[in-house]
Amino acid sequence: MDIIQQIINGLSIGSVYALIAVGYSLVYSVLLFSNFAHGGFLVIGGYICYFALRSGGMNIWVASFAALIGAGVSAVLVERFAYRPIRERTPVTLYMLIASMGMSIVIENIFVVTIGGRFRALPPVIPMEPVNVFGLATTSAFDLLSLATAVVFLIGLQLFLVKTKWGLAIRAASYNLKTAGLMGVNVNRLIAIVFFVAGLLAAVGGIFLSARYTLYPQLGSMITTKAFVAAVLGGLGSLPGAVIGSLILGLAEMLTAGFISSQFRDLVVFGILIITLIMRPTGLFGKSVGEKV
Amino acid sequence: MEERNPILSIKNLVVNYGAIQALKGASLDVYPGEIVAVIGANGAGKSTMMNAIMGVVKRACGEVFLDGEPLAEKSYQVVKAGVSLAPEGRNVFAPLTVMENLQMGAFPLSNRKVIATELEKVFTLFPRLKERTSQYAGTLSGGEQQMLAIGRAMMAKPRVLLLDEPSLGLAPIIINEIFAELTEINQLFGIAMLVVEQNARKALMLSNRAYVLQTGNIILEGKSSELLHNPEIEAAYLCGKKK
Ligand SMILES: Nc1ncnc2c1ncn2[C@@H]1O[C@H](COP(=O)(O)OP(=O)(O)OP(=O)(O)O)[C@@H](O)[C@H]1O
Ligand SMILES: [Mg+2]
Repeated sequence: MDIIQQIINGLSIGSVYALIAVGYSLVYSVLLFSNFAHGGFLVIGGYICYFALRSGGMNIWVASFAALIGAGVSAVLVERFAYRPIRERTPVTLYMLIASMGMSIVIENIFVVTIGGRFRALPPVIPMEPVNVFGLATTSAFDLLSLATAVVFLIGLQLFLVKTKWGLAIRAASYNLKTAGLMGVNVNRLIAIVFFVAGLLAAVGGIFLSARYTLYPQLGSMITTKAFVAAVLGGLGSLPGAVIGSLILGLAEMLTAGFISSQFRDLVVFGILIITLIMRPTGLFGKSVGEKV
Repeated sequence: MEERNPILSIKNLVVNYGAIQALKGASLDVYPGEIVAVIGANGAGKSTMMNAIMGVVKRACGEVFLDGEPLAEKSYQVVKAGVSLAPEGRNVFAPLTVMENLQMGAFPLSNRKVIATELEKVFTLFPRLKERTSQYAGTLSGGEQQMLAIGRAMMAKPRVLLLDEPSLGLAPIIINEIFAELTEINQLFGIAMLVVEQNARKALMLSNRAYVLQTGNIILEGKSSELLHNPEIEAAYLCGKKK
């Protein structure tokens, strides 16, 4: 086994986790609850892409675009109808956490009931042929493409947060939502934007994940767990933390699969979570040990 | 002053927190160009009044008028209408720079020229902020954070500026500096102010008129200069003779 190849694989899958963990962390930083329905957005994006390609006969660009918008809008709707009524009634975020567990099951079961729970493979629209990296290693075009796409979207997110007025407002709100409201920010609109962005990024991850593996309704909960581990590892609510945590997770998974056995992969994921919680509960970039989960 | 119409008017404001009634029908007026103080002890309901005006807590009863028109109930609409608050405890955005904090204050404005003018005003009043535009707000001293909180509230180009305990936790010399700037803001730009304070002497010296709030009720109002010499006030809020 070639170590460089495994590292590229690990960074590639890690960067896809990063797209998901970053949105999850963004929501956490503004609303201070773990949105367990986050993986659902990824599945929604995956299925939109799948059906746009299979039944709609669209090309991958149009299908992906539809998937990103569709997942973003779904995230906004979930927030609007499941979380907003709660946050307008109580400051206790635990209720939103519980609602998000419910929403995760709802999204999963909508797919099971309407289209069935079977595993589906995306048509081969993303190139998979082997690529030689500077004569050092052989990897697949797919790995490089997913890495590049993730980097582009993460840079895009960073530019949005640093260069735009709403980006500034989101950074302010993730420090103190109430005070951001006092500045004349329409807080409900801000939260809708945050969910749209989170849903959109999750869909990018969802497309690559369902092309790498397969697509099925429960994929969301599995990936939510990984995003959660990555975010805790990096420090909940910290975006750079979520990216670094995801890369570490991706590398750990691929190196375990490559050099030990792929059966140990999930064991390593939870091992990392437990070690982080024992050794450094605030994560690598975390600030305070507040109420988490 | 009394013949003019008030710019900000609160009528019979009631606020409940569950079973606790924090404001029990408070009324007050702020006239254009005026500085009005509300003094009261801990838990009198001063912050509650500010938050109710800003739409942060729900008004159970009563009304708030800006220029005779009912004031909106949502925070962002209140700010847009021309009322902004420098909150209790300052609440600057610690991980953002001084400049970004000020830009947040200007959130409701979209005209870049207007924002630049407001920024210039704030920097004229608080040169210390100008020297520190790229410093993180969390690393500012308490006094500088208060200046930033006031500057940030001014960036929204308010017609009425609300200040919740601007003297909180600051050394006397800094309090004097900040209160001098407040007088200047009022005189230079004619912005009306409603200041809530526990530091009654300072608040009465700053303001034109004042109200005394006690457990949710306004129990007294008058010219600040007269309240300063009112024996009742002196005993309850000024703790003895002036130095
Ligand atoms: N969110 C809340 N939930 C329940 N009770 C509250 C809440 N906020 C304030 N109160 C209560 O309402 C009353 C008035 O509080 P408020 O903060 O307005 O007082 P204050 O005059 O600003 O006091 P201080 O000078 O200490 O700031 C107090 O009895 C307080 O305990
Ligand atoms: Mg108070």
